[in-house]
Amino acid sequence: MRDSPVAGLEGKRMSDPRPEDLRLVDSDVHPHFRNGLADLAPYLELSWRKRMRLDEETQAWASAVPASQYVLPKNEMYIPTPGAMRRDASAGPGEVPASDPRFVAEHLLDRHDIDRAVLIGGNVLGLSSLPNPELAAAIASAYNDWLIDVWLRADERYRGAILVPAQNPAAAAREIRRVADRPGVVGIMLPVADVLLGEACFHPVYEAAAETGLPILLHLTGTENIMSRSARFPGGTPTYYIEWHVGVPAVYQANVASLVVHGIFERFPGLRVAVVEGGVAWLLELMWRFDKDWQSLRDEVPWLKRPPSEYLRDFVKLTVQPMPEPARPEHFAQFVEMTQSQDMLMFSSDYPHWDFDNPMASLKGLPADLKRKLAVDNAVAFYGERLTRALPATAVAGGRGSRPA
Amino acid sequence: MRVAVGPVGDFAAGRMRIVDVGGRSVGVYNTGSELFAVLNVCPHQLAPVCEGTVTGTMLPSDPQSLDYGLENRVLRCPWHGWEFDLSTGETLFRQERRRLLTFRVSVEGGLVHLEDHLRKD
Repeated sequence: MRDSPVAGLEGKRMSDPRPEDLRLVDSDVHPHFRNGLADLAPYLELSWRKRMRLDEETQAWASAVPASQYVLPKNEMYIPTPGAMRRDASAGPGEVPASDPRFVAEHLLDRHDIDRAVLIGGNVLGLSSLPNPELAAAIASAYNDWLIDVWLRADERYRGAILVPAQNPAAAAREIRRVADRPGVVGIMLPVADVLLGEACFHPVYEAAAETGLPILLHLTGTENIMSRSARFPGGTPTYYIEWHVGVPAVYQANVASLVVHGIFERFPGLRVAVVEGGVAWLLELMWRFDKDWQSLRDEVPWLKRPPSEYLRDFVKLTVQPMPEPARPEHFAQFVEMTQSQDMLMFSSDYPHWDFDNPMASLKGLPADLKRKLAVDNAVAFYGERLTRALPATAVAGGRGSRPA
Repeated sequence: MRVAVGPVGDFAAGRMRIVDVGGRSVGVYNTGSELFAVLNVCPHQLAPVCEGTVTGTMLPSDPQSLDYGLENRVLRCPWHGWEFDLSTGETLFRQERRRLLTFRVSVEGGLVHLEDHLRKD
């Protein structure tokens, strides 16, 4: 392996970069369909295309609304008032934001010196709310082939999280083994559902994840408490978007606690989990309360061999967007010190969503060693060589960025 | 520093036009009755704020009531939706002390001139 100048990461293929040459890793970027689920048609069997009516001609008006018809409440649920997307993230008039791999490479990666971007979710974040587990599995498989074909081949800085159906653990485990070794795959997005993730029904998913060495990524679904299969929202159903947005991290806190107390990390010591966009500062409350409770209640869950906070530090990562912006900025580093979470936090931008974090601003002012951990080192430790090493030459088509012929 | 940025006819009503002022990107907006100019950098996370929308907003109101106002006076950042008063560069309703850098706008001899508030000559 020869030394690789950082500038060489752009454009042509190169040999494996050393982790220390990486400038920035973005752990949360959302690729979108250009034409809704129709983009998945080339990756679905005929019977599923028929079932999903993707072979039928849609009327012009139908493409402009999410469900191909105006349906309440789906079109008016939780919508942030600035709009869900950065208004400048569209490649041109009428283009869906972040639906063109080449545009995203220029607009996000080039401009912010991002050497690796983990693509996750997009239009499929709410997959776990679908009542039909077979449909969810079919969509997940087609999405994974689309992600690999359209995005991971378009630019060698892209890496991807495959999608699996939480409501169909057996299919999820099969899907993990089917695509785990495709070039560019670095993780597994498991959309949270109405069952907390420590429960035994998810063991096949974790077994496949540990076996393939791929970490599990949890991400907001945007459907919390809306559909009956969605993850429950603590306390009830929020009325306003802002109410959902500030409350939803509790859903992810609860799922992380579930993984710990069920002994998932004792049963699958090779498993790693990241909470993406699920909040940061709840970690302090969870660690303090968890360790205190463990002193008194350990015998209820005797398979926990260590203070729960240690499982969190060893097995769990959190992406930091939306970056906390305390009135006194130095309080963020103090929070990290209090929780000893310096090895747990990973930079993310959430591009192209409205609450995008610009690394020039969100990481500014952090102590240099902490900044480096957030920018690169923790992501490299978490995703490993799948993140850092160059993709095989045959895998990168050079920014084709369109549907296959 | 005072700079001419083009004939007034090039600044159509209801449109934001981005011009170069000594290497800096500045947005000039014509409300139909007034011209405003602000630096195209959001003080929050450095977004190109002038690529956002010029709109109105919901004024402070009683619980469970809505009161829309300030049409054409609010510049809304394309990223995080921060709302600025186009005329002053300040955030609305004092949510935040950081503000947009504004320029004085004048029309002389059919040309639009911008003047930096900070630097005088």
